[in-house]
Parts: sequence; structure tokens; C-alpha cells
Amino acid sequence: MSNYIPTIGIEVHCELKTNTKIFSNSVNGYGQMANSLTNVIDLGYPGTLPTLNQEVLNLAIKAALILNCKIRRQMHFDRKNYFYPDNPKNYQITQAETPIGYDGYVEITVNGKKKKIEIEEMHIEEDTCKSTHRGEKTLLDFNRAGVPLIEIVTKPCMESGEEAKLYLEKLKELLFYSDVSDCKMEEGSMRADANVSIRKNIDDEYGTKAEIKNIGSISNVKLSIEKEIERQSKIYDNGETFLPQTRRFDDKLNDTVLMRVKETGNDYRYFPEPDIPYVILTDEQIAEVRKTIPMLPDERREKYLSLGINEKITEKLVGNRSLSDYLNNLLDKKLDFKTAANLLLGDISFYLNKNELEITDTKLTPTRFIELVDNMSNKTLTSKNLKDILDTIMESDKTIKEIVKETGIENITDDNAIKEIVQKVISENPDSVTDYKAGKDRAIKYLMGQVMKESKGSANPAMAMDILKEELNK
Amino acid sequence: MKYLDKTIEEIHNALKTKEIKPIDLVEEAFERIEKNKDLNAYITLNKEEALKKAKSLEEKEVGDNLLFGLPIAVKDNIVTKDLKTTCASHILDNFIPIYNATVVEKLEQNDMIIIGKTNMDEFAMGSSSRTSYFGAPKNPWNKEKISGGSSGGSATTIAARDVLFALGTDTGGSIRQPASYTGIVGMKPTYGRVSRYGLIAFASSLDQIGPMTRNVYENALLLNAIVGHDDKDLTSANKEKEDFTRLINKDISGMKIALPSYFMSDIVTEEIRNEVEKAKKVLEENGATVDIIDMKYLDKAVTLYQIIAMGEASSNLARFDGIRYGFSVENPKNIDDLYLETRKIGFGKEVKRRIMVGSYLLSGENAKIYYNKALSIRDDMKKEFDKVFADYDLIIGPTTTTTAYNLTDPMDDPSKSFMDDVLVIPVNMAGLPGLSLPIGFGKSHMPIGLHIIGNSFEEAKIYQLASFLEKELNLDLDSRKGDNNV
Repeated sequence: MSNYIPTIGIEVHCELKTNTKIFSNSVNGYGQMANSLTNVIDLGYPGTLPTLNQEVLNLAIKAALILNCKIRRQMHFDRKNYFYPDNPKNYQITQAETPIGYDGYVEITVNGKKKKIEIEEMHIEEDTCKSTHRGEKTLLDFNRAGVPLIEIVTKPCMESGEEAKLYLEKLKELLFYSDVSDCKMEEGSMRADANVSIRKNIDDEYGTKAEIKNIGSISNVKLSIEKEIERQSKIYDNGETFLPQTRRFDDKLNDTVLMRVKETGNDYRYFPEPDIPYVILTDEQIAEVRKTIPMLPDERREKYLSLGINEKITEKLVGNRSLSDYLNNLLDKKLDFKTAANLLLGDISFYLNKNELEITDTKLTPTRFIELVDNMSNKTLTSKNLKDILDTIMESDKTIKEIVKETGIENITDDNAIKEIVQKVISENPDSVTDYKAGKDRAIKYLMGQVMKESKGSANPAMAMDILKEELNK
Repeated sequence: MKYLDKTIEEIHNALKTKEIKPIDLVEEAFERIEKNKDLNAYITLNKEEALKKAKSLEEKEVGDNLLFGLPIAVKDNIVTKDLKTTCASHILDNFIPIYNATVVEKLEQNDMIIIGKTNMDEFAMGSSSRTSYFGAPKNPWNKEKISGGSSGGSATTIAARDVLFALGTDTGGSIRQPASYTGIVGMKPTYGRVSRYGLIAFASSLDQIGPMTRNVYENALLLNAIVGHDDKDLTSANKEKEDFTRLINKDISGMKIALPSYFMSDIVTEEIRNEVEKAKKVLEENGATVDIIDMKYLDKAVTLYQIIAMGEASSNLARFDGIRYGFSVENPKNIDDLYLETRKIGFGKEVKRRIMVGSYLLSGENAKIYYNKALSIRDDMKKEFDKVFADYDLIIGPTTTTTAYNLTDPMDDPSKSFMDDVLVIPVNMAGLPGLSLPIGFGKSHMPIGLHIIGNSFEEAKIYQLASFLEKELNLDLDSRKGDNNV
């Protein structure tokens, strides 16, 4: 097989996380009884008119900002006319002429190098209803009809399935993080189409395009692109050609399958939607939306690494938005962030998972958390101690100090008390003392063990070691 | 008992003093409708529910609302909950809506009683109501003649004096032209004045609901009841509440009125021009000035209308596919067959013609060549009107180029039918309010209407002029006597 240069563009549809639908006040929900979330507007009843959900505009502005898009200040909606049973009005309200966002980008890292994936445009539209084919019959569920979508279209700027995968992962992370969308590909709240063509030389025109529709997972996007490149390469290698076409990925065959050969230019008879007046976005509105954007994942990564948190913990933390947010609230505090991150992802995560709670549902206020971290950090509390009292920490309002006192696991951090124990151990083990003085390392470990035993495990180990050394060297 | 021939105040007082009850008015209306059955003004009568509603109003205080307990006819493209709404089309001849149009809610709030759904051109596409699946209504002045369209049924029932009030809709003259042909008062309000929610769309950027009545005062009263901002219609205007009767009987001296020369050109018959001239004189004698002016773009209106209205209609009517409501063919072979056969059988000839032309106009590059171009010329036309209204209070002209013609006249020249509306269409293009007022009669005593156009949201000023002329001319507009004259 010869080498070709692949060119890939990706179109993503994302359902916006709004309370209600885009053009009616029906609830925007998933997994409900079929046709229970519908009204006359969603069903395209005669005489009904669309309203416009402001929440949709705000989320779309947010998405455009996150994707580094320019935002159009004056825009309108258009009708895309086509007959299909899942399309209740037989036209879809979309933005063909004036997409809300354009000229944006998403940055990915491919083989250690940064690359900007350019976004051609991003527009708002309504989702269709869901059709299920049962033998001869087709069942229609209009719960999805009128759910708000944004469609994000990249330029043909990717060169491999891997790049497409990295782009989609990044996109998903961004939109999910900023509460724009659930981005659940398995529930269809995020859907991807890939346009794939190949050419021999970089100076050649783009090759014939195949569009792979509605791919069900990010890994399948990568796989289907790779399979498609392979298929097209074989055709060209054989000196053959093919027509522009629409394909789908079949997970059983693990390959793309032809759906239809594209006819010359679909004619959707677009025209401006007369039922929705022009929408004007003001700088104030955009500024308001900008305020609602949380710190984005890449910025968090940079921050955590700079605080000395290792890469593995950083990734885990970024992957858990609520814990990451929790930590971010403390960024202006003086804190051992390494210990804090370890605590959050270790014992605290374990507790939260076990009890199916969010950290904000517990009584671990930032003040108490800081106290806890300080206690761990200065070794007042050992991790064994912590395991014993964690439930109490998470479920009561008491200070960590009070809890420690009540449960009697208080570390002996009193210099004199430890000194007494150390002196006792030294006087009872003259042989080991001699060994130590003769330079035998093993001896101090034994003596230390005796100190801990004598204190019933409650001496602060670091302090005990310091005092032990001090006493031995006297 | 002839309460429905009395003035609105007399009826109201009779209700207030319990001399009559709303049910008496409803029964009288149905007696008249029954007697005028051959006029074919109605598609569906709402007798049982209307009587029930009238009964229920007996429990209620009559109050000061002049519209309380009065029967009203509603054009059959306005959806009425639980009452069949057909758009005069086979494709909706079994359609019983599950919700009310906003205007219908407003009629309810005003304690009016819906008496039935009036005949019209199929989906309001036509100007003689002859495209109705249920046959054309007849003109009460002469049953050989058309009542005009598309609100022909509403015009007919008012002209026949079945009821005092009717709602019509106007996309390219469909209230004013039939009002002119039948000698009644018809107002198309400013675009956005009345909510379109529940009006089955023909051309969304032009459609507007309006009142059709036997006189100017009652027209303004009904407009008072149906206007207002509606959250369900993004194109509805947010305006302060006002009383449209407030300038009625006010002096018109000093009013500046424009009469575009195009409206008095030879596209209009001489007898109509003469009546307009007479009205002009009356106005001038009473202190108004009437200037003949030249206006650009008026002659382009029909072409623009055809492009915009048909383009929008082709999309608006796409939802009638036999899947969710309305007529549906049985045992289709596949989904395409369901679409094709349902729409082939369900729609009439004129509707299909307009859908096809509209689809063509929006197709591929045509949208830019035709539709977008038409929208931009439409803006220019609006600006031309703005220029006139900078200097004038109102614009007048004839409503129609001829009086009502014969029901049997050929229908095979579609562009001729648009010419019926050549004088009224510019008003829809500019979104302005316009009213047709009877000002005289032509040969064989067919009514002639004066078209009064106002600036946006200046309906009250139109009523001021119309009521003045109405009083001065003092015409006998009762078609039942007119009928006897023929």
C-alpha cells in the first residue's frame, strides 16, 4: 500500500444542558417515557410558533468562548427544509447563514507537539425526534425533538485518526467541564461525523470525500478513520476511483459500510426563519457569560504541576471536576497542596465513593480540610490514625483537634513525654546503644521500634526519631 | 326578535337589564345562519358548545364589556380547541385541535361566544374563496358574485348580518379585499399587533389576524379585545394598551392625507375611482388636505408578494405529511408514498401550485436570486412608506380595482387573481395597518371600499378617519335590502 496524506474534518453535535427545549418550554430530559416530554410545539402542530430559550444562547456563547471562536453580534435562524419522519415540521430550525461562533480553535498535543485544530464555525440548531425501527414499523419518540444542539465544524485540518481522537477528547473535556453539555456519546448527547479524504502529494487537490456518520464512541472515530484511509488507499492503489459518499461504522464488522452515494448537492432550500426575529448579542451579555466559565482543564494541569503535585495525581484530579473545584477554592491559602491532593484522591475519594456523595455534600468545610491537611503534613496525624477517624471528620462539625482528643489517638508530640520514653528504652538496651555507637545502622531501627512499642504507637515517629538521635549522641 | 340588528350599546343594555340573555343572541344568530345556509359562509358550526357557553354566561355579571355575550365567527385557519379547524382543506378536514390560538383565548376572556368556523380559500391561498375544499361562499349582495377572499366566509356572514363580529386573516389583502366586495369594515392591524400563535401559517412574515364588522366602532372594539403582546409569538409587538375607539368622532380638520397616483391609475375601474374622488371631496370639504403623490415600488408589490409568500408557504405547509394529524392515505407502500399520496390527495390545486412555485423559488441559487432579493426590495418599499408618513397622517386609495365579479368567472389565470389584491398587498409588505371602509356602490349595486393605510401602530388614526367618512356618507349597508334591489 502506497503512502497517502489523509485529510480529516470532524463535525460534532452536542446537546446543550438546558432545563427546557430550545423553542418550547418542554423539559429537556433523557431516558423518560416515550413522548412524555412533548407539547404541541415540539410536535409541529399547525399554528404553533417557536419561542427562543435564552439559556441556549448563553450556553452557546459559553461554548464559543471556550473554543476560542469569534462571536457574531447579530444573527438569525434559518429553515433547513427536508422531509423525514423524525423532523416534525419537515424543516429544521438551524443557523446556516450566521453561525453564532466562527474562526476558533482547540489545542491538542500530538506526539509531544502542540497543534491547533481550527474550528470553521459553531452554530445552534434543534435536535430531531428519535426513530426506532421495529420490523415494518418505525416508532417515533419526540422527547428529543427540539432539544438544543450546537454543531461544531472543524476545518479539514487533521491528518490521522489519532489526531481526531485527541481533538474529540479535548473537546469533550472542555464542554463537559464548562457544563455546556453532558457529552455522553452512549446516550447520544454528543455525536461525531468524520469527513475523510486522501491525496498523494501535499500540492494535490483534496481527494474524493467520504463522510462517516454518527460514530458511537471516540475510539471508534479513530478506528473508522484508519479503516477508511486504508479502504481509499487500496482503491487508488488499484488505479480506481470512487464517488463522494456517506458511510457508517459497523462495530461488528469493525469497518465502515456504504450508506449512500451522495447526489449532486442536497437542496435544503434554506431561508431566514420568519418566526424568530434577528438576535442581537451585546458585549455585556458576552461578558456576563464569560464570568461563568470555570478554570479549564489545561490551566488546572499547569497550576497543579506548579504546586508540586505529580503528573499522575494531577491527571486524576483534573478528571474529577468536583474535587478539583474544591481544591481550587483553596489556591490562595497557605497549604501543603501535595498532601491536600493526595488526601482528596485517596482516603476522601474512598469515603465519597463508598457513600455515593459529592464532597460538597459532606461536612468537610474548607477550614476543617485545611486543619486536616496541616495535621497530616506536620505528622500530628498518621495515615493509620486518619483511617480510624475519617468517618467522624466527614460527618461532624468538630475541629480535627477535638476529634483527635475525643478518640484518644492523640499523637504524643510532647517533647518531654517522648524524651522520658526514649531515655527508658536507652537505659534498658545498653547493647544496642553500644552497637549504634559502633556504627551499626540496624541498632537505631531496633531502638526506634522499642520506642514506638513503649508509646503504644502513639509517639509522633519523626519527633521520636529526632529525640532518640539526640539522646544517643549525648 | 331582531336584537342582532340593534346597535352594540342597545344590545349591551338589553343584556344588562336582563331583557335578554346571551343565549337569545346565540339562538338568533343560528336562526339567521340557518336561513342563509346557501351563502356557504361556514365550514363548521359550533351550535351545541355555543349554547352551553351562553348558558354558562348567565351566571356571570354582564359588567361594562360591550362584547360580553356576543356571538363571533372565526375564520377556519385559527385553531380552536376541540372545534374542528380545517383551513378549508381536505388535508385537515378531520383535524380537531388540542389547543387554542391566543386570539381565541382572548375572545374567551372577553366572554364572547364562538358560533362557528368560517369558509375561506384553502390555506388562505386565493382571493375569491373559490379554492375552498367546501365550495365558495356567496356574496350576500348578489349570490352570483364572489365574496372575495381569502376571508370570504367571515365577510359573508357579517354582510348577511348573521352576527356582528368575525375574525379574518390577511396575508395579502385577505381581510380588506373581501370586506370591500361585501360592504363591510375590515382591518388588517400592524404586523405584530395581534398574536399569530394558533394561526395556521401561510406566509409567516405577512400573516396577521384582524376584525371584520358591520361598522367602524365595532371594529375598533373587537381590535381592543384581541391585541397585546404574547410570549408565545416572538414577532408580537410589546405595546402599551390603548383604546382604539378613542379618536372616533374626533374632528379631522387639518389631517394630511396622501393619495398615491398609482392607486388612481387605469388599473382601477372608473366607477371605483369616482367613488374615491367623492370621498376625497368630502374630506377636503371638512378641512383635511388630500394630496396626489407619486410612490415608488407600489407596482412591484405583487411580484414581491408572490416570491415571499410562496417561498414561506412551501415551508410552512411541509408539516402536513399524514404522520401526526390530519388526512393520511391508507396502506402507503413506504414513507415516500405516504408523503406523496397524502399531499397529492390532501391539497387542492392552487395550494399545490404555490408549494411547487415556492419550492422552486427557494431552490439552490434561486433563494439568493429571488427570495433574498425580494426581501431587500421589500425593505426599500417600507422606507418609501416611511417617507410618505413623515409628511402625511394617512394614505388612501381604493381597496380593489373592480367590484366583486361572478363566481363563474374563470380561475385558470393565477396571476389575474393576484391582481385582485394589487392595491392591498403593499400594506402587508410594509407591515402597516390598513382598513377597508364601504364608501359607495357600483353598477348593479355592488359595494365599493376605500382603503385607509396608517403608519405602524396608528390604527386609532385610521378609525378616526373611517368613522368620520362613515358618518358623513351614511350609506345603507344592509345587504338584505340590497338583495331585494337586484
